[in-house]
Amino acid sequence: MSTVQIRDARKSYGAVEVLHGVSLDIEDGEFVALVGPSGCGKSTLLRMIAGLEDITGGDILIGDRVVNHIAPKDRDIAMVFQNYALYPHKNVRDNMGFALRQRRIRKAEIEQRVNNTAQILGLENLLDRKPRQLSGGQRQRVAMGRAIVRDPNVFLFDEPLSNLDAKLRVQMRSEIKELHQRLKTTTIYVTHDQIEAMTLADRVVVMNGGVVEQEGSPLDLYDNPASLFVAAFIGSPPMNFLEGDLVGGTNLVLADSTALPLPIGDPKGRSRVTVGIRPEHFTIADSGWPATVSVVEPTGSETQITARLAGHIVRILIRGRTATKPGETIHLAIAPEYVHLFDAAPVPQLAELEDVA
Amino acid sequence: MSTPISSTAHRTRTSTSHRLRVMGGIAVSILFLFPIYWMVLTSFKQQVDIFTTPPKFLFIPTLETYIEYMQRADITRRLVNTIIVATGSGLLSIVVGAMAGYALARIRIRGAATFGLLILLSRGVPPIALAVPMFLVARKLGLTDKHITLILAYSTFLIPYVMWLMRSFFLSLPRELEESAMIDGCSRYGALFKIIIPISLPGLLSTLIFSMILAWEELLFALVLTNRHASTIPVAIAGIAGDTVNGANWGALTAVGTITVVPVVIFALLVQKWLITGLAEGATKG
Ligand SMILES: Nc1ncnc2c1ncn2[C@@H]1O[C@H](COP(=O)(O)OP(=O)(O)OP(=O)(O)O)[C@@H](O)[C@H]1O
Ligand SMILES: [Mg+2]
Repeated sequence: MSTVQIRDARKSYGAVEVLHGVSLDIEDGEFVALVGPSGCGKSTLLRMIAGLEDITGGDILIGDRVVNHIAPKDRDIAMVFQNYALYPHKNVRDNMGFALRQRRIRKAEIEQRVNNTAQILGLENLLDRKPRQLSGGQRQRVAMGRAIVRDPNVFLFDEPLSNLDAKLRVQMRSEIKELHQRLKTTTIYVTHDQIEAMTLADRVVVMNGGVVEQEGSPLDLYDNPASLFVAAFIGSPPMNFLEGDLVGGTNLVLADSTALPLPIGDPKGRSRVTVGIRPEHFTIADSGWPATVSVVEPTGSETQITARLAGHIVRILIRGRTATKPGETIHLAIAPEYVHLFDAAPVPQLAELEDVA
Repeated sequence: MSTPISSTAHRTRTSTSHRLRVMGGIAVSILFLFPIYWMVLTSFKQQVDIFTTPPKFLFIPTLETYIEYMQRADITRRLVNTIIVATGSGLLSIVVGAMAGYALARIRIRGAATFGLLILLSRGVPPIALAVPMFLVARKLGLTDKHITLILAYSTFLIPYVMWLMRSFFLSLPRELEESAMIDGCSRYGALFKIIIPISLPGLLSTLIFSMILAWEELLFALVLTNRHASTIPVAIAGIAGDTVNGANWGALTAVGTITVVPVVIFALLVQKWLITGLAEGATKG
């Protein structure tokens, strides 16, 4: 186990800089998720920590050792790849024992450690199989086992679950969480699935375009997004956004001059803002913003309502059930603490990132 | 009731297409094998039986030509030479070519792609244009009529061939395999020899076999660079075919031709089983 510190890490491919100075302090035993849209540099950062990519600028420390020029094999890290990268010519036992054999650990000890790990992951009966004789889920487990058996300082995961189907992904997610609680090994986990990041991590680092957009505990990011990007990225169903002028302090005037009263004004005194409201923070009341219901989707424990508000689609999530029907007009009320105000800007299009699970 | 009918129809269709495929296979095999069959047949004929019309399929076989030409064309020595040269150049090329191919596939060096392309383009030069300069170089180095000369000469065209074949093979392997090995405690070389090479054995083996066959049947360089001591079988065949004094001796030609083919066939049969299981083993990704 070990701390990991990243100090102003930069990465360029030729003349193109893809990481523009990332700094992170990861505590011993912490589970940190790096999350962000495709191409934001998550994998690049992880591979720099692993030693698979050169560090163009800045420092990376594992423990108190600067590892910038240390080969991957000497960093005492283990990594699980998206495609698992199991050695196809070795059976499960040898795949898991390979790293231990490289370190010339005694045969008996290797045997014992492999067996222990196999037991933790339920792989005892598969030890003699080749990777091609395993299902996707089993391969994923072997890849995990190969990392765990080494008892490294740091685990690095690069989208380890994205090749699994939705159900298995959810199951493996809780297994990974359980494993971490048991092993307490420092873990850096890359994903583009915000739900995965939120459910697994002690701390979530949202990256965008090669910089850290915001970091914090999952609920902190959820409750206090610092930017429109984080607000749009975290949460499912996503936050609703309305852009308009603030008139008279608390009136939001939309492009079609519909005026919506806000329960609070902008402490920063901006005249043009984008207002964000999470679906579950609307309440249906006797008075408030008028919206026309277009779809009602009950799931039993909660109901999602899609409605139109001055031409904008808004999503509303209420606990329990409702008698509301499509075509009706409802009134939406918002408590002041649930209003998020951002500099006016187009909402980042994150459709492709929404959790499909 | 419709299910059984359609399934019968289906079965009929597949068996028809199956039969067509088998027939196609047989036709292609005949097309390729008949000349060889005819060569072998002719080699056992007496001179009088060779040019009969219609051609004779039944005749009294004789080993006359074999016995005579084993001596006259110095076949034993040539056979040994050919084996040495084909094995030597095959092995040298597979080692150098595979490592070069790996470098081209995996290591990011500026200009590597251009360099690789240049090596490939060098194969565009007709061998005949290289034969004479090569002879002059060999003579300056005192290397004429030696095995090593042919081994090196063949490697000049086998290495680019191996390099490009193995490059695409290595490209088809996920990069994460070596990265995983390197995290697990290997150096780059360790990852290459412990993970990549074992996975690539089927590809390496078939490339080696093709290289050895190319070297086995090479004529031009052998003709120019060797004399008596290191001369190979194709040179003997060319000698018999080009015998302007006595005219081409078809019996001798086919007999020596058969001797050339037999080791290749035996070799292919020996490695075939290994090659097929190897291919099945290696056909896994991820
Ligand atoms: N070898 C490379 N050469 C040039 N550019 C690269 C290279 N590898 C990555 N990049 C660029 O660096 C940026 C970050 O890539 P990276 O793989 O880290 O993204 P990511 O956040 O992991 O995305 P994804 O979710 O799609 O995996 C991208 O713009 C990518 O095009
Ligand atoms: Mg990635």
